[in-house]
Amino acid sequence: MAADVYKQKNEDVPNGSLVPPDRQHAERSESPTPGLAQGTEPGAGQEGAMFVHAKSYEDLTGADNQDVIPRSPYQTEGAQDELTKMEEISKDFSELSTQLTGIALDLEEEIRQNEEDKLDLSPQASRRDSVLSGEEEEDVTMETWRMHQKHVFVLSEAGKPVYSRYGSEEALSSTMGVMMALVSFLEAEKNAIRSIHADGYKVVFVRRSPLVLVAVAKTRQSEQEIAQELLYIYYQIVSLLTWTQLNRIFQQKQNYDLRRLLAGSERITNNLIDLMARDPSFLMGAARCLPMPAGIRDAVSSCLQQAKAKSLVFAILLSKNQLVSLVRKKDQFLHPIDLHLLFNLISSSSSFREGEAWTPICLPKFNSSGFFHAHISYLEQNTDLCLVLISTDREDFFTVSDCKRKFQERLKKRGVYHALLEALHTPFYSASQVGIPELRHFIYKSKSSGLFTSPEIDVPYITEEEKERLLGLYQYLHSRAHNSSRPLHNIYYTGPNENLLAWVTSAFELYVCFSPLGTKATALTAVNKLMKWIRKEEDQLFILSPQTY
Amino acid sequence: MAAGAGQEKLLAPALLGFFVYNPRLGPREGEEEKKILFYYPNEVEKNEKIRSVGLCEAIVQFTRTFSPTKPAKSLHTQKNRQFFNEPEENFWMVMVFPCTGLVQKIVFALFLKHFFILQDKVYSSVLQQCYNMYKLFNGTFQKAMEDGGSRVLKERLEKFFHRYLQTLHLQSCDLLDVFCGISFFPLDKMTYLKIQSFINRMEESLSIVKYTVFLYNDQLIWSGLEQDDMRILYKYLTTSLFPRHIEPELAGRDSPIHAEIPGNLQHYGRFLTGPLNLNDPEAKCRFPKIFVNTETAYEELHLIVYKAMSAAVCFMIDTSVQPTLEFCRKLDSIVGPQLTVLASDICEQYNINKRISGSEKEPQFKFIYFNHMNLAEKSTIHMRRTPSISLTSVHPDLMKILGDINSDFTRVDDDEEIIVKAMSDYWIVGKKSDQRELYVILNQKNANLIEVNEEVKKLCATQFNNIFFLD
Repeated sequence: MAADVYKQKNEDVPNGSLVPPDRQHAERSESPTPGLAQGTEPGAGQEGAMFVHAKSYEDLTGADNQDVIPRSPYQTEGAQDELTKMEEISKDFSELSTQLTGIALDLEEEIRQNEEDKLDLSPQASRRDSVLSGEEEEDVTMETWRMHQKHVFVLSEAGKPVYSRYGSEEALSSTMGVMMALVSFLEAEKNAIRSIHADGYKVVFVRRSPLVLVAVAKTRQSEQEIAQELLYIYYQIVSLLTWTQLNRIFQQKQNYDLRRLLAGSERITNNLIDLMARDPSFLMGAARCLPMPAGIRDAVSSCLQQAKAKSLVFAILLSKNQLVSLVRKKDQFLHPIDLHLLFNLISSSSSFREGEAWTPICLPKFNSSGFFHAHISYLEQNTDLCLVLISTDREDFFTVSDCKRKFQERLKKRGVYHALLEALHTPFYSASQVGIPELRHFIYKSKSSGLFTSPEIDVPYITEEEKERLLGLYQYLHSRAHNSSRPLHNIYYTGPNENLLAWVTSAFELYVCFSPLGTKATALTAVNKLMKWIRKEEDQLFILSPQTY
Repeated sequence: MAAGAGQEKLLAPALLGFFVYNPRLGPREGEEEKKILFYYPNEVEKNEKIRSVGLCEAIVQFTRTFSPTKPAKSLHTQKNRQFFNEPEENFWMVMVFPCTGLVQKIVFALFLKHFFILQDKVYSSVLQQCYNMYKLFNGTFQKAMEDGGSRVLKERLEKFFHRYLQTLHLQSCDLLDVFCGISFFPLDKMTYLKIQSFINRMEESLSIVKYTVFLYNDQLIWSGLEQDDMRILYKYLTTSLFPRHIEPELAGRDSPIHAEIPGNLQHYGRFLTGPLNLNDPEAKCRFPKIFVNTETAYEELHLIVYKAMSAAVCFMIDTSVQPTLEFCRKLDSIVGPQLTVLASDICEQYNINKRISGSEKEPQFKFIYFNHMNLAEKSTIHMRRTPSISLTSVHPDLMKILGDINSDFTRVDDDEEIIVKAMSDYWIVGKKSDQRELYVILNQKNANLIEVNEEVKKLCATQFNNIFFLD
């Protein structure tokens, strides 16, 4: 995280305009140009960002040691003047970690504990899951197994299977043994395996001690993109166990079978992999907002802000992987990866609809060494509005639950609840609203706010395959634009079925898909028109004034 | 534009290793060394060699789990990259390069932040070329095994690669090595017919000639060989044989030609392979042997290369016939005068054509064109091809972007076009249509997409007017 913060400063300097955090709306230029400074592009928050600035790709080459010394976020982001508050919170954290030490000392005890937690979390889900995994076993020698677009394997350093997307881990244990043998062979030579390339597929290795993650992909993605997805899966596992605990387990017993601890979580990982192939959030490293009138969003945000408790760090209101509102403790920033993991956790289980869940969760990019406690619940059983309240205190369930109640009461009292539900009816807008006939779809990301907007994927991308193909094209342009040794500003791609344009500046990223009938001339005018439209609609499409506690 | 040349030298990848092995030759434990047919550098300890080969085998075997018919082609590690090729069943060739050459040592911190500079497709092609060149002069691995087992094969590999590896100029490998195409000499119909009739007459008078190839100015005009054989022979002629003879030729123009050889003043012809002095009765008539059509007839031929001014003819004779000094003299007396006349005819015609079309001013763009059907390539980026340096007139990073676009093109069969603006403000256009590929680099900072498109349209209209490209 320290690296991220440093990076952010670094990037700002060449822009030559460190925009003050409380800049006026009047300063925002009407028609965006490539010279647009970061922070003034459409979608840039007026009160500063909610997120840690994320790079397009994590530094995969240098990051091997990144997690070795888990840093407390307070060391890097803690403000001096709030020291007393910070001390309190870090005391909470240290208590939490001493608890963890106690737990991990006795492994068996620890497993039991964790299973209890799991049962709290989703009793039916995990049972259902264990039944399912029995049915889904696939013969790994069959051609159909080889035909899969993307295989994902997770193994321990002892070569023990932890996870496989297709086929049972037992049947694949020898294959995973070979993977580990390759990894250790090269490590013995003070080298490290990165990837294997063949006609039509790639094998990518990511090493995050004590785990090894391997993907075999037939997609058009770059090695960097696949490695980034593997990192997400690694963080997903860390979010269930914490980095500290994960390491302690393997320090005590090198050939520990981690599946015992992760039992029931396969579905979360499966869902994450599926989601990454469909949802551009992961590719963009940003969050998408549910479009709604700015007045309503602001009212909702202030209701959420007022329902506070001492232990609350983040309050997130979301609907189907789209952000409605986010309130954070002042000076605490959420990393997009952590938010995506939360979205994934919620979307992979229907059990959260059945009541209030109180679950320990680690936000690995925020602090990989400790657990937060997340209160997850839907506002009403039949809506998609889900509230996540993240607290530092394990014992605070009733206080946090009370916050939810207060929030709901305020919503109703201020009469915004109905309007909020109204906005849920149109969770997506259509690309045709922009008024450009050739425009099929687009993704626009504001770099300073870490938010992006994108219309519904519409005709002709109706089937799942077509949707994934479109995202695949975006992935392709994204990887070319962000190639670390040869980055590109502009890309115009003409294919047999569509034309695409990518435009990357220091302030924003824009990816546009046109019908094949569009010419380059129409594309250029369309982009200008589209940018103006986004500027006009920005208060609906983005969270411009995020709240803090 | 040429500022990158010095920098590129710094990044030049050195060959870390090159080996040939056959896993079938030492299947039992303790016999692993028998698998290794060639290993560079040879000084490496035996166990180290066995380990390296073992890793390659393991990688290939591992990928067969996922695709039995398409195993690994390359392995990327933190420190190096290895390329695998199985040109003949069970015979594997492997090349190992360091990731980034000197960068790693100079700015270590920077290196950590960078992804790798080597381009997979370029070096996979280089590896394939190594085999093709070996095969041209030695025939297949399998043939050597039949001739005398792995001992003979080892000798041939050692003899060939010992020298060949030193002539590889890895820093100047680029997109043209991926295409490995042939540059054709543009010619009017009349002159083309003259050449055709010349070849017919020569094949008539020198009846033992099996195949003939005609080149002018290092560009191909006529070939009797199959495309794939021609492609590698062309590579040999233009990057190795011809450049070696440039220097004496340049010197020869000022002094009386062949002054040391009296009675030869009627023409400029001389042998590039074979006897140096036809008047010396002791002169040896030894020509390089080449192997063509190895898949079918498996022909072994003598390669006679004869040149007059800028025109070169290759005559190929079956090895069952040994060309004598008598034959060489006959060839010299028939071919020499006629080829000299023909060469000056072509030169004249070429200059007329150049005057007609060459009136326009220096264009704002540079391009590479390649046609997969007839292997025709054309580049205005490369100034000339020599064995030691390939002079390109653009920054190496731009060449690498061309390489990126090319590898994206090969992943799909559809026609595609891509226009990109690089960080250095150059515009690059890649077009793929049917079997043809065109890459254009434009140095127009302030141009927009539409203007770039117009420029490329103009280029297509003047250079490739009958080729359809997706718009």
